[in-house]
Amino acid sequence: MRKTEPDYRDNSEGKAINEQEAIRRMQLSDDPSAQYYAAWWLGRNRSQNPEAIQLLRHALHQRRPKDLSAEVEENAVARNAARALGKLGQVAKESIPDLVEILHDDDYGLREAASRSLGQLQATAAIIPILQRLSSGPGIAGAREPGTPRLKEPCDAMLEALGDIGQASTDVISIIKLYVNHERTVVHSSACRALLQLTGDANWGEELVRLLKHDQLQVRRAALMDLGATGWRQALEAISETLAENSLKLIAIKGLSEKSKSEEIDIPLLDAMDSLL
Amino acid sequence: MDSQELLTIQNLEIQSLVAAVHAAKTADDLLTTTENLAASAHPDGAQCLLEILGFNNPGAAVAAVDGLVAIGQPVVVKLLESLDNSNYTARSWAVRALAGIGDPRGLSVLEHALAQDIGPSVRRAAACGLGNLILSTETELELSQCKRCLTALINASRDSEWVVRYAVTVGLEKRLKQDVSNKDWVIRSQNVLCALAGEEEDEKIVRQRARLALMRLDFS
Repeated sequence: MRKTEPDYRDNSEGKAINEQEAIRRMQLSDDPSAQYYAAWWLGRNRSQNPEAIQLLRHALHQRRPKDLSAEVEENAVARNAARALGKLGQVAKESIPDLVEILHDDDYGLREAASRSLGQLQATAAIIPILQRLSSGPGIAGAREPGTPRLKEPCDAMLEALGDIGQASTDVISIIKLYVNHERTVVHSSACRALLQLTGDANWGEELVRLLKHDQLQVRRAALMDLGATGWRQALEAISETLAENSLKLIAIKGLSEKSKSEEIDIPLLDAMDSLL
Repeated sequence: MDSQELLTIQNLEIQSLVAAVHAAKTADDLLTTTENLAASAHPDGAQCLLEILGFNNPGAAVAAVDGLVAIGQPVVVKLLESLDNSNYTARSWAVRALAGIGDPRGLSVLEHALAQDIGPSVRRAAACGLGNLILSTETELELSQCKRCLTALINASRDSEWVVRYAVTVGLEKRLKQDVSNKDWVIRSQNVLCALAGEEEDEKIVRQRARLALMRLDFS
């Protein structure tokens, strides 16, 4: 079933576009803003078209300096292509080697986008390269990059990827544990999320539930998304009571339902959803 | 104390609660003072609660919507008037308040919001509201209102956002739990719930909610 899509508007003309048009725009290599939108569109609509996948893979290697006047981020097309590939599932598996390669790119944002997508694609080939980037620990990989608010590595994205890929080897666990007490709460939260996913140990879940009561809204939001990703069902009540937007709580609870293998109808969970609408 | 004195005292209380909102200097203060005013559920607080919807403070806006819903019918006219001269965010909160109150005078606004609004959270609230709407007691009017609610919900069952389709299942369940005299609409609604419960629906949570609705309505 293809749904009506009132939101997918082309920002320039106000018209909805279709897959063929997105593919056409993806080929306009002298018009990065058209490509940027097309890459987003293909990911958002989970295109399964082989031509689209080839174009997105190709775009991963497209480099362009930050254009300050246009307020476009560095390598914007490559980043969006990386994000899109992560959303496409099975058909995008052939892009894994390209995504792994850009884990070593100089561009932090590109490493971040590639990490998240490799997590979504559950790419075991990404484990070793990610461990390499993180192995120096919070003192180096997790230290602040001078002159920016960033860390040296996109630690939260890389930790989340390790959790999503789902291979709980001793190496993976011990490297993630290096980051459990990171001073940045988002990194701490991502490490707890990954450890909960990989070990199922409730202590990590309880730590995430504690973060739902954090003073800062931003931390509470991140913890909501992290708990949703783990599917830790015991968090249902705490999620419902968190001081944050209902939209995010609904997404988190949906995550709990999706991660459950059971097809049984979970009535308390659906009741919690209903009361947040 | 006679009733006149009691009214005066209540009035002074509301005035001081309103003054506290206006004096709030931080986001936290605004939230607390809004919650206090909302808890009074008094129509004299309505104007202030409506203004809070436009303050761009989501926490306070949620509390203000709760307060407006608690006041209920007396605030419907003011809410409908506010739709014309406020910004998008304030309007979207007003739609939620109308959805919560369930007064049939909000029907057109909810229909329009569910079909047209760009914000999924607004369409979601409108779908619930169309399920909650308390229909007229006049048979003729009730029939036409019921048909409009069901039609709007059925049309939104192919919305691109899962949360809206989820809310449509909830809205349809609520509508069909009440007696719907036209069997044709019951069947059409039932078909929509069956489609949302089946494999052509991508999202597990929507399928589950639609299955629950069918079970509760004893359609399965």
